[in-house]
Amino acid sequence: MTFSDAISLLPLIIVGVASLLVLLAGPFCQVRVVTVVGAAAALAAGFCAAAVSPVNSAGLPGLAFTPLARYLIPVFCVAAALTLLLSHGYNLRHEIRGEEYPATVIFCLFALCVLPCATNMLTLFLALEAVAFSFYVLVAMDLGRAESAEAGLKYLLIGAVAAAVTAFGLALIYAGTGTLALGALTAPAGFHSILTAGWGFVLIGIAFKLSLVPAHLWTPDVYQGAPAPVAGLLSTTSKFAGAAFLLMLLAFAPPRAELHLPLYLLSLLSMGLGNLAALRQTNLKRMLAYSSIAHMGYLTLALMTGTRDGYSAVLLYGAIYTVMNLAAFGAVASLSANGERGAITDFAGLGFSAPLRGGVLALAMLSLAGIPPTAGFIGKFFVFYSAIRGGEIVLAVIGILFAAISAYFYLRVVVQLYMRPAGANLPKPCSRAESFALVCTSLGIVVIGIYPTPLLRLVESALALG
Amino acid sequence: MNPDFPILTLLLFLPLVGGVSVVLLWRSPATARVFALLTALAELALGAWLGSAAPAAGPTGYFLYQDLPWIERFGIRYTLGMDGISLVLVLLTAFITVIAMLLSWQEIKERVPLYFALLLATETGILGVFLSLDLFLFYLFWEAMLIPMFFLIGIWGNGRKLYSAVKFFLYTFIGSLLMLVAIIALYLMHGAQTGSYSFALAELVHTQIPYTTGLWLFAAFLLALGVKFPLVPLHSWLPDAYCDAPSAGTVVLAGILAKTAAYALIRFTYPLLPDAARAFTPVIYVCAVVGIVYGAWIAFAQKDMKRLVAYSSVSHMGFIALGIAAWSPVALSGAVLQMVNHGITTGALFVLVGMLSERTGDRESLNYGGLWGKVPVLAFFFLFFNMASAGLPGLNNFVGEFLVLVGTFRVAPGAALGAFLGIVLTLVYTVRLVQDILFGTPSQPMSVSDLSLRESATLASLAVIGVYLGVHPAPVLDLIKVPIALLTKA
Repeated sequence: MTFSDAISLLPLIIVGVASLLVLLAGPFCQVRVVTVVGAAAALAAGFCAAAVSPVNSAGLPGLAFTPLARYLIPVFCVAAALTLLLSHGYNLRHEIRGEEYPATVIFCLFALCVLPCATNMLTLFLALEAVAFSFYVLVAMDLGRAESAEAGLKYLLIGAVAAAVTAFGLALIYAGTGTLALGALTAPAGFHSILTAGWGFVLIGIAFKLSLVPAHLWTPDVYQGAPAPVAGLLSTTSKFAGAAFLLMLLAFAPPRAELHLPLYLLSLLSMGLGNLAALRQTNLKRMLAYSSIAHMGYLTLALMTGTRDGYSAVLLYGAIYTVMNLAAFGAVASLSANGERGAITDFAGLGFSAPLRGGVLALAMLSLAGIPPTAGFIGKFFVFYSAIRGGEIVLAVIGILFAAISAYFYLRVVVQLYMRPAGANLPKPCSRAESFALVCTSLGIVVIGIYPTPLLRLVESALALG
Repeated sequence: MNPDFPILTLLLFLPLVGGVSVVLLWRSPATARVFALLTALAELALGAWLGSAAPAAGPTGYFLYQDLPWIERFGIRYTLGMDGISLVLVLLTAFITVIAMLLSWQEIKERVPLYFALLLATETGILGVFLSLDLFLFYLFWEAMLIPMFFLIGIWGNGRKLYSAVKFFLYTFIGSLLMLVAIIALYLMHGAQTGSYSFALAELVHTQIPYTTGLWLFAAFLLALGVKFPLVPLHSWLPDAYCDAPSAGTVVLAGILAKTAAYALIRFTYPLLPDAARAFTPVIYVCAVVGIVYGAWIAFAQKDMKRLVAYSSVSHMGFIALGIAAWSPVALSGAVLQMVNHGITTGALFVLVGMLSERTGDRESLNYGGLWGKVPVLAFFFLFFNMASAGLPGLNNFVGEFLVLVGTFRVAPGAALGAFLGIVLTLVYTVRLVQDILFGTPSQPMSVSDLSLRESATLASLAVIGVYLGVHPAPVLDLIKVPIALLTKA
């Protein structure tokens, strides 16, 4: 390992050291300090990753700082930092004590950062599973609430099955190609059926991760049970990581013809069922869970085109989705007192009694609905544009119609926030860390919505070499 | 004037910036209200100054133009342009916003700063539609203006305000998304043909579009625009939204928001898809005439004054659709002029209904009666604007409707005859309304106070413009002459 390798992997080193440091030194410090240090380390790593120029050659076995990593690591780092800031107050109210929470978040971030750096399937798989492993712990972290433990167990069981299936798929691909290195994945003649089977299993595993219909059943329960900030992180980074996983594999000679139908169905069903089921939800976190299923359907739509436009759309949409969902779950977390604020009607009048958080939640809803001038509109525009350009016109029009329907359930939340009288259950005042994080996310939504050019440039450079 | 100064951007975003500042003044509602009105007046003054000081129009008809790169990845540009048609509608927008503010001066008592801020935000959204020359930019404003309007109806409305707000939003939003698909399709076709990917109107008009594809695209546009217009089978959101919105919201909805759809038909849809437009002309004729007759017919059956004016608005918008469908210089001039007239007259009628219901909390026309003797000033304006709406010669609506009918009669006499029947029906419901409110005997005695100075000034300014456009429409017709000649030449 040369010095330049160390420089290019500095983000990983920072995050790795930070997670150990937090775990070891945590007991001797206040949680507040630990949180701030953790968030600072995450931001530093993200900044580092953005500043270092990417290399495509593998300096180390299995790891390289690729252009894709340069794009994804800052996104993940910012998401983790914001989650830490958002969860501090929430954890105090819910008596989630101790340094293991920030330590696990940063460990999760470490795994997230490794994922796009992977240059062979083994590293890739290990990173994906390490992310999932951190979330098994995080989801069950709220010991005071039985639903949290239930959600943790549910996620663990489903996740273990998904991991096994994915691993089996990767093993079949290995059997078919004879190599683990991603760059060398080309199918020799005669092994086509093994490869196709391998891809099928990988797709099933990732469908679980992305909660694509019909592998979505765990999602609403887990989102509802998990602490709100964790649900925010889970719904964004782990989904985006799953999509990146698929993207990295798809870049190398997949059996595209065979994959088309499964991807088509996954996308169609997710967009349809996600949006239709969200219409009937009365709990905001469950509604957001179904909404995330639908959004992953849009993402799959862009992915299945197999074009450069489509992959750019996936990367852009992933980042935008991360920002808006963090805003939504962050606002929910901050508005929850000792218990979870769950029912949509519990948010009545909060647009006026808690202007900042209500406003951020409303903005996140409008953005998720894809209404300009928010980031969500730019994201949807790019996804549907790439789909139409990639020839998936029918599915794109279906998706757009479902997106139109989705406006209804997002608006319902806005209606509650601003057009219903406030209930008795007023939220606690907003802490500075929470306000800061929420303002950051809403600025992200508005700025990307009005001027997406810089982000689009970053997306282009992420696909430049990879 | 320095030609590089981004005057159009200033014109476009002044209300929005003012609106944000108004929200920051939330501690003192009275100051916020005054500040909002000053912003709206400044916007009107700026528009009027642009109209008088603008340099001569170039060969493209645009006398003010601004073009900056925006989202280069897709060739999306921030292109604003103002020609005669835009100018006329910008002035109407600025004027109606001032009227809307004056109307809500006393009516709105809760969350005053937010209310006025949203009115200003709506103004920016509408102006954006009138000034954009890039289809992406146009679409952005087209959708964005829904948000403040949704809040205006949902927070300050009355009756089933939540239902109406959501219905209004979903109808327009769903229609608009199909238009987005059509826009993307145009963009891709143009890019594939020329190699330059762009959303600029000036470039997209040169796209070669296969006939059937063009029909589909036109249908998507027509669906989106027809909802907001509203063309008759797509109007079912309108009575709810118009009735349940606060009075000023209704004035904005009917006075200017509806015009964005007519404008988009003239500016974008027809030039982009001329062949499909010709094919769809009979459909639009039918929609227009059915709208005129049906709107008038249903208006006649209404007991609720606001609902009556809402349906009469549908009826009058039919004339605009008729003029667009005929697409001759005379008819189109009539349509654009009628867009202004409709804004003034229907706006004024909604203002009057708002003032009456603010006084009594009652919108049943039969519960009023005998106002002619009791409140002479209000009664005068009521009679005046109803006569204008009925198309009395010498007042504004007459000129617009006359031009539309003359222009249409040459190309489609049947449609013109149908529309003429609508005018007769208009006379019927108007006279009945005037009879009920001003001259009948009330079922129970009702105390109505006459107009305050602010209210008289609001209505007088509308009336002055009504008379002016009625006897001397030449300035407006001169302004729109060049762009309309350019549009109808092709």
